[in-house]
Amino acid sequence: MARMKFYCDAERCIECNACVTACKNENEVPWGVNRRRVVTIKDGEPGERSLSVACMHCSDAPCIAVCPVDCIYDTIDGVVLHDKDICIGCGYCFYACPFGAPQFPQEGAFGSRGKMDKCTFCAGGPEEDHSVDERRKYGSNRLAEGKLPLCAEMCSTKALLAGDANVISDIYRERVINRGASVLNRGVSYQNAAFRASSGMEGKSSVKK
Amino acid sequence: MRRALFSSAGVETAGFSAVLMLTLVLAFLLLMAPHAMAETAGNAPAIQVPNPSTDLWREVRQRDGVTSGRSQIAGVESGTLINPYGETWRNFRMKQLIPYSGYLLAGMLLLLILFFLVRGKIRVKAGISNKKLFRYTLYERMIHWFIASVFLFLALTGLILLFGRSLLLPWIGSEVFSLLASASKEGHNLFGPVFAVALLLVFIRFVRRNIYQKGDLTWLLKGGGIIGKGHVPSNFFNMGEKSMFWLLVLVGAVIVGSGLILVFPVFGQARITMELSHVSHALTTLLMILVIMGHIYIGSVGMEGALDGMTTGYCDLNWAREHHAEWATLCEQEGKVITDVEVSRLRGDGDTQQHAATSAQETG
Repeated sequence: MARMKFYCDAERCIECNACVTACKNENEVPWGVNRRRVVTIKDGEPGERSLSVACMHCSDAPCIAVCPVDCIYDTIDGVVLHDKDICIGCGYCFYACPFGAPQFPQEGAFGSRGKMDKCTFCAGGPEEDHSVDERRKYGSNRLAEGKLPLCAEMCSTKALLAGDANVISDIYRERVINRGASVLNRGVSYQNAAFRASSGMEGKSSVKK
Repeated sequence: MRRALFSSAGVETAGFSAVLMLTLVLAFLLLMAPHAMAETAGNAPAIQVPNPSTDLWREVRQRDGVTSGRSQIAGVESGTLINPYGETWRNFRMKQLIPYSGYLLAGMLLLLILFFLVRGKIRVKAGISNKKLFRYTLYERMIHWFIASVFLFLALTGLILLFGRSLLLPWIGSEVFSLLASASKEGHNLFGPVFAVALLLVFIRFVRRNIYQKGDLTWLLKGGGIIGKGHVPSNFFNMGEKSMFWLLVLVGAVIVGSGLILVFPVFGQARITMELSHVSHALTTLLMILVIMGHIYIGSVGMEGALDGMTTGYCDLNWAREHHAEWATLCEQEGKVITDVEVSRLRGDGDTQQHAATSAQETG
């Protein structure tokens, strides 16, 4: 059984915010709500890295645990979805979520919370696939069309990956190995990388001693 | 005798040689140690090698305290990738708050039932007399029942949100429960600030009579009359009532403060602020509900004549003598004792002129 996951590669993300824009456009998210955001750590300093973050579709999701009306559930693909007809807008999922994924449109007086909105892994909601109601409440349902979330599909540097956890981790593992090998082989700077050259690698260095 | 001496000397020799061996081994180790260390240092220089990936993860995971990145997305804490306190809050709510507060509330209810079965209704010993004392004005009764009804409503809606998923949802289904929970949330948010107003009115009206006095310590030591025989004399309010008042005011202030932080999420509160507010809101309201359960018990089925003052405004003279002796004596000295007939006349059974007199007295 597939278990859907996002992965963002900090060595590849260039903070272009295309994933944010793609998500907003694809799902027609209400004003003031952003299902995805790009965060830059150490902005302008050495070691600057960016990461794109949205709902991570946790295996043991805190939001599912704390919801007082039990409106959040995970699908057979491991995608965490919620039912907006049941949601009461209490904000508990927002307190519990480590990633700040649940968003609330401001509705009514004094900024009281409306129905929660969050990333659906482009998998719609509990309504019938591709129905008008599903489109209006949750945005697109690409998963039912056999497509992956648009944010990852649009990513120009392929920093953001989405799909089955096994496939995603294989791709990432491969990248890590290649990166490590390139550091060792050609001596390219990987910022004082924590790799120690093994004796067998010495002859292949392109850096003249 | 000789043999014994010899053998003891043998043990001594053996002990000595063991100590000698140990010293030799230690000396050898001490001599070798610097050499061994130098060898390790020569093999792998102990240089701190920074690893950008671990540095990044440490920062993202907020291992070294709260750090924040920068995001193009506007919003509170949009630069924070991981809020580590969410999990703490989840564990508090799911593993501690919900089960233990359930046990506490059920336990309190059981305790009150047990107390009632053991002690029964506390009767007025001298019997209900035909004389009355004026105890609460119309305004005082109004604000009492105002705060009481608002409190009961808030407690009920709050408990629905806390226990509903486990107790109600399986019975009434998702749709109906969602409707109930939604109404509870909206009602709780709407009447929360009203409770603040009611609390302020109650505080202003009753604070003077609730300042602790000389006899209060005796009341506490005698457990309010439960320990030993007879009632402990007290003034208008006894020590227990005064303590409940101050608990209501002080704990109520925390409840109102934390509630206001939660009800208006528009002032840029961080999640940690709201999580802490929720924790303090839950703990203080739990304490308040437990105390109010006792208050409702003693004011209704627990004691004869206790409810009259808050419903009619007049309390029985014998009840006052037994439970608020100092206040009753003072009233008797001032000649404020009135008969049943007078009370029913004052309460509006007479003509218009007398009715006007009633309102004047009751609101005074």
